[in-house]
Amino acid sequence: MNDTQNGQVEIPSFSDISEGWHDLARNTQTFNRLLNTDASIAQTPKELIWTLNKAKLYRYVPVRPREERHATPLLLVFAIMNRPHVLDLRPGHSFAEYMLDKGYDLYLLDWGEPGPEDKNLDFDDYTLEYLPRVIRKLKAVSGSNEFSILGWCLGALISTLYASLRPDDGLRNLILLTAPLDFSDKKSSGFIRWTSDPNFKPESIVEAFGNVPGEMIDSGAKMLKPIENFIGTYTMLWDNIESTKRTDAWHAMNTWVRDIIPMAGAAYQQLINEFYKENKLVEGRLKIRGERVDLSRLTANLFNVIAESDHITPPCQSEGIMDLVGSEDKELFRVRGGHIGIMAGSGAEKNTWPHLDGWLAPRSQQTGEG
Amino acid sequence: MSEDKESFNPFDPTGMFKEMRDTNIDAWAKMMGKAVQTDVYAESTGRMLDAWLSSSTPVRKMLDKSMSQALANLKMPSSDDITRLAERLTNIEMRLDDLDAKLDTFLSKLSDGRSE
Repeated sequence: MNDTQNGQVEIPSFSDISEGWHDLARNTQTFNRLLNTDASIAQTPKELIWTLNKAKLYRYVPVRPREERHATPLLLVFAIMNRPHVLDLRPGHSFAEYMLDKGYDLYLLDWGEPGPEDKNLDFDDYTLEYLPRVIRKLKAVSGSNEFSILGWCLGALISTLYASLRPDDGLRNLILLTAPLDFSDKKSSGFIRWTSDPNFKPESIVEAFGNVPGEMIDSGAKMLKPIENFIGTYTMLWDNIESTKRTDAWHAMNTWVRDIIPMAGAAYQQLINEFYKENKLVEGRLKIRGERVDLSRLTANLFNVIAESDHITPPCQSEGIMDLVGSEDKELFRVRGGHIGIMAGSGAEKNTWPHLDGWLAPRSQQTGEG
Repeated sequence: MSEDKESFNPFDPTGMFKEMRDTNIDAWAKMMGKAVQTDVYAESTGRMLDAWLSSSTPVRKMLDKSMSQALANLKMPSSDDITRLAERLTNIEMRLDDLDAKLDTFLSKLSDGRSE
């Protein structure tokens, strides 16, 4: 029913109406399919080399011959309340695929989905029980005594704790992505305003459920940007429903977002009380298995990546540690984008990944100790 | 459905409201984003969550207790029993991992000794 040039309304023909209904039906079908099915994600070939409880360590199958690979292996450590598949979202748009192509010997730690028997797992366990075992295996398989870690979100927090507690364990390079470490600003955006309220009691949640249900964490994260997450994402999908490229990207991301897992109760309680409320890490009062975590003992080369529009880990929660760590080689790097978008968004391949490789590659060459 | 803004497509249900939606959604998003970051919202959410948990937890505990009792009467394990068993398995797995590491070290030293 388009306006004609002289302003008169043109009556649509029967075939136009029929075609319109046909398009609408097809687009609605596509919309429903994208909402309710899973895309094929995490497709880059990898082999399982270690397991403990629910945790798994994978080694991605190298695509470069040994002589073209970097000497220092890279371990990817993602958060404990999401699947790590976002690091290998879909063929042609996968960080894992990209780094393999750049010649890294690449390992992925999947913390797994905690069951009721894991409700007492806390950051002490993740940092000093699981991660050292993972690293032991990584060293045995790679044959290298030195390694790099890329930690993202709570994976970055665990990596920071480990790097500060075990500085002589061979960690050469540490990349932190959107790391929630400094909770001194109680009025910043993100979860901190909610968790700072005295009525918010993590103990009650843990007492009721054991582990914190994934749905609860997911809803909380979505409520930080309610319009974007509950309306905007679907209107955007409908607007782009005829673009296969965009719908494929949306489908892959939605598959990852829908795959929610619970968070171990003790870890959640510790995160809220000792980090968010009491800010023990930055104030030097945090103890892990009785050992005080001293950030000045973190001496690995450090690349601290901040997402400028991060609403989950606002930049102020990551920036503060730059003056506290003992690393001589350290750099703060800002990327335009959000918490997940900087690594998995359409611009990641241009705006983030090359910078990570550019920083890490010269620091991954053979040394006397490797 | 990337329609030309000038045209009107009666078969695009969101297209009819697209202009209005595009004009307003940013404003709504900003308004809601600010609203959820207020102390009032934090306090009311905290209170609601607390009220819900304190009223539902005793009921849930009572149900768990009666279920455990019923399973015990039927000589069947409860979820707590299975949880305890799983915890023991994880501990055994850790000890095995330690043994595996020691064996690796031993074999490595043995092979180093042989090569010398």
